[in-house]
Amino acid sequence: MATARPGWSRRAQYGLFFSFIAVIAGIIVGLILLTLSLVAPEQFQRVRGAALDVTSPITGGLHEVTATVEGLFTGAGDYWNAANQNAELKRERQAMLRRMVEARAIFQENRQLKAVLNLREHERNTIAIGRVVGSSFNSPRRFAILSAGTSDGVRVGMPVRSPDGLIGRIIDAGALASRVLLVSDRANIVPARLLRNGIPVIAQGRGDGTIDVRPLEVGRNPFKRGDIIITSGTGGLYPPLVPIGRVVKLDDDGAVALPLADPANISFAIVEPAFEPAAVAAETSAPAEAR
Amino acid sequence: MVRAALTPTRRIGQAPWRYAAYVPAVTVVLAALLSALPIISTSGWYPDFGYLVFIGWRLLRADPWPAWWAAPLGFVNDLFTGYPLGFSVALWSATMLALDLIDRRTMWRDYRTEWVLAGVLIAIDEWMQWRIAKLVDGAPPLAQMAPPLVISICVFPLFAWIISRIDAWRLGR
Repeated sequence: MATARPGWSRRAQYGLFFSFIAVIAGIIVGLILLTLSLVAPEQFQRVRGAALDVTSPITGGLHEVTATVEGLFTGAGDYWNAANQNAELKRERQAMLRRMVEARAIFQENRQLKAVLNLREHERNTIAIGRVVGSSFNSPRRFAILSAGTSDGVRVGMPVRSPDGLIGRIIDAGALASRVLLVSDRANIVPARLLRNGIPVIAQGRGDGTIDVRPLEVGRNPFKRGDIIITSGTGGLYPPLVPIGRVVKLDDDGAVALPLADPANISFAIVEPAFEPAAVAAETSAPAEAR
Repeated sequence: MVRAALTPTRRIGQAPWRYAAYVPAVTVVLAALLSALPIISTSGWYPDFGYLVFIGWRLLRADPWPAWWAAPLGFVNDLFTGYPLGFSVALWSATMLALDLIDRRTMWRDYRTEWVLAGVLIAIDEWMQWRIAKLVDGAPPLAQMAPPLVISICVFPLFAWIISRIDAWRLGR
């Protein structure tokens, strides 16, 4: 658009006028789209998925390069203090072995008890395995891009975890890639409990890579530094007993935890089916879907 | 001496590139595509590259693209960055309109006023992102938006410089 009055030419004046109209139309269309995508995000599922597919070759390819370079550097770093590391690892291994024997015994006992109680055992099956290849690094929201999509069976709403812990849940799915709402996003609220004593808590992201944990019952602050937070399975979306984070700082009525599965460091992510699909379906039909 | 100064520095055959008119829009799309970089950050402090390049072009020239292109360009940015669809469409169109109105008022501009103007626009962009995130209960405390804002404002001159180089190249200067 030009500035001021473009002279006496009627044609130029009309041109200017119509470009103003076009811009205002652009603003209105944008606002309508924005409202729609906030109120009914599922409307744009297909478009967003297609965009993910367009960028996924770039993201995936470059990710391989950076992973290789990073691997070279950390590899070199590991050689640097190999002796110290070796001694430390040996000590850790001894401790681990002892814990493992204990755990095995508990596992067996658990199985027997469950058999006695006739408890329904949930199949833990894997839908797809992908890599975390990108993130929303220029937004206040915390999303990650996963290199697995609908062609692998991934659907919107499925929980994503790594061997270390919970990563989040799928919110956009393309054919080749999908977008994950990380547990550190403010809109991701995970029903959880303390591993130490089973006190039910609520984990909510803080938007800066950490998680806010609060006890369900108001009162004494139940957290200690180093506490592990695990999912409780309440709500039916996330499977129970998946570690979420470790408490690093206490505040007035809760604590701040660091996610155990750091999206930047995990080698692969596992997409699992929703824990109780029926319960999730009932919940997602409610309008309070995070987007 | 005088003779040397009078000889034209322009060489024959030097002219704007054939597709010069499309270069600005293409650079904006490429900047939006930077969101596909495999950077895995849990802080979100990186600038909104698409918007920086967009206002960089618009501040350099009054007509880098027809005004209505702001909407489709914003749509592309929304798709690649994962912002709610329509956010950049509305914001970028509004930016075109606002800068046109400002152009009518200002008598002259210099480097510093442009930077201040860009800073204000970037601040509006960041604040809007925060506001939209708040609508879906996904917003961090407002103080957390300060680092990305400062970073964006600080890197804007770099983007403006790159854009001016691209502009000189596309026009064959």
